[in-house]
Amino acid sequence: MDLLQDLLLAFLGIVIVNNLVLTKFLGICPYLGVSGRIDMAFGMGCAVTFVVTLAGTLTWLIDHLLLMPYGLEVMRYVCFILVIAGAVQLVEMYVRKFFPALYESFGIFLPLITTNCAILGLCLFINLWEIDNLLEAVVLSVGAGIGFTLAICIMAGIRENLELADVPGPLRGAPITLITAGLLTLAFMGFAGMI
Amino acid sequence: MANTAPALKKTFLAGLWDENPVLRLLLGMCPTLAVTAAVKPALTMGLSVIFVLTCSNIVVSLMRHLLKPHLRILMFTLTIATFVTIADLFLKAFQPEMSDQLGPYIPLIIVNCIIICRAEACASKNGLVVSIVDALGMGLGFTLTLCVLAGVRELLATGKVFEIPVLWDGFLPWAAMGMPVGAFITLGLLLAGVNAIAQKEN
Amino acid sequence: MSKVKYFFEQSWLLLVSSIFFGGLLALTNAAWQPRIQQNEIEKFNRLAGAMLREADSFLSLDEPVEIASGKPRPYTVEVKRGVDAGGRTVGWAFLCQGSGFSDKIKLVVAVDGSFETLAGFGVLSSNETPGFGDKITIAGGFFQRQFVGAPAAALDLVKSGEAEAIDDEIVAISGATVSSQAVVTILNTYVVPIQEELKKRGLIE
Repeated sequence: MDLLQDLLLAFLGIVIVNNLVLTKFLGICPYLGVSGRIDMAFGMGCAVTFVVTLAGTLTWLIDHLLLMPYGLEVMRYVCFILVIAGAVQLVEMYVRKFFPALYESFGIFLPLITTNCAILGLCLFINLWEIDNLLEAVVLSVGAGIGFTLAICIMAGIRENLELADVPGPLRGAPITLITAGLLTLAFMGFAGMI
Repeated sequence: MANTAPALKKTFLAGLWDENPVLRLLLGMCPTLAVTAAVKPALTMGLSVIFVLTCSNIVVSLMRHLLKPHLRILMFTLTIATFVTIADLFLKAFQPEMSDQLGPYIPLIIVNCIIICRAEACASKNGLVVSIVDALGMGLGFTLTLCVLAGVRELLATGKVFEIPVLWDGFLPWAAMGMPVGAFITLGLLLAGVNAIAQKEN
Repeated sequence: MSKVKYFFEQSWLLLVSSIFFGGLLALTNAAWQPRIQQNEIEKFNRLAGAMLREADSFLSLDEPVEIASGKPRPYTVEVKRGVDAGGRTVGWAFLCQGSGFSDKIKLVVAVDGSFETLAGFGVLSSNETPGFGDKITIAGGFFQRQFVGAPAAALDLVKSGEAEAIDDEIVAISGATVSSQAVVTILNTYVVPIQEELKKRGLIE
């Protein structure tokens, strides 16, 4: 029961309180770049959730079964990025072959994900927070993906409406998006300290 | 691109203004927002990026004729990850305080779009000299932008710049500038300012 | 056979550079790793030394102390004994951690030689709100001062009270109750179990 409660708290923490996009500035590029339409944003979010779950779990396993027992911590970053790049490639091939419909909807985002800092960032944070059981690492990975989807969808919703607003010339495009994002982080700051 | 002095100068200056990675190309936003609460970490970050960018551009430029198309990105990431690890070890050994403060944002240089973008767009097509000059220009543009942003935020958040007090005694610090919201809004306004100047130029 | 040849044709650069980069990393690591470890020890000693001024050096115990964490796996704590130039025990110091307002807080806690009163704590790393929660990091600030000389027993957090009085009641930083509570909770999790364990080993009375 205690374990369940811990996992639930960890999950809520990473989705809302320590949201990677809004408090750790990870995954800002897609957040500002593609979130113009809400359905695209959701597709991107799903793809990221999928890959981050895989990458988070795999890197935790590699870190704890290979790198730490043999004192190979120096290779950590190289291993992590190779695992992520490999996972993205595998997922892309697999999805294209077996789920063509799914590939149509979010496959185009997959190659972009290798350089999405949210994924490598999460793997590094799992290491930094010294998460020592696999279950918690998996829960955190899923939560990070869902948190990213949440942030990117909220942003897309706001931007759809922003297109109708009369924004002063120099502020159009990225500047107004950044300011909106700033206000959004203020709202999310209200959740801090909940856990 | 030619190897003549004026052409090299143009490549170098492009990184500072016309193709400034942060302000014009909107690349590498993640460290730009995350480490600019004060000038010192921002400068450390900028110098680390210059180091990684220069080294990776040199290596990529040297092996540009040997690259196989489908293994290209893999080679880039491998090269970048190696140099980032070296930079990280260096900071841990000689600047432990900065290393603690920057934490995971140093390894995150690996996925900083600037570096992979320059490897792809410049170093894999050009000779050694052009690649180095391009890396220095881009890196310097990135560092300067980071320092400007960090300067504004540190000044308003603490009344200090580079940890030296500059504002009057009774100054009430704007704590919000040191938090994520300050990062987003300052960068938004900075970009708006740059847009306004660019529109006037045209 | 041709498949093997094709494989090497395509990937020889990758293999060669992997070996090259691996070697490069191994060299750098070998050159700088001792220094990195030295830095970490020095940081601990600096923080702990500021609280236990008489201590000349810090020695590790033979075996780390394990304490219950509420999770399946107990925390392992490296407790260090601060000794003066004559080899006399002047205090104990250890590293502990817990979750704060927005991230993990890592503290170095120092206790006097008989493990009866706290000698204070220092913050190793934290990410609390600037202007509010980060007041826990101010060395010699009103919050940290309340712990110097406080009993090494369960502490209580109160929202208002006499901050100058040194007792088991800690007055919270106004506007940062969560951060203050986090520090008190971390201390409560570690201090008493370590005291019991050290007693069991006969290192203190």
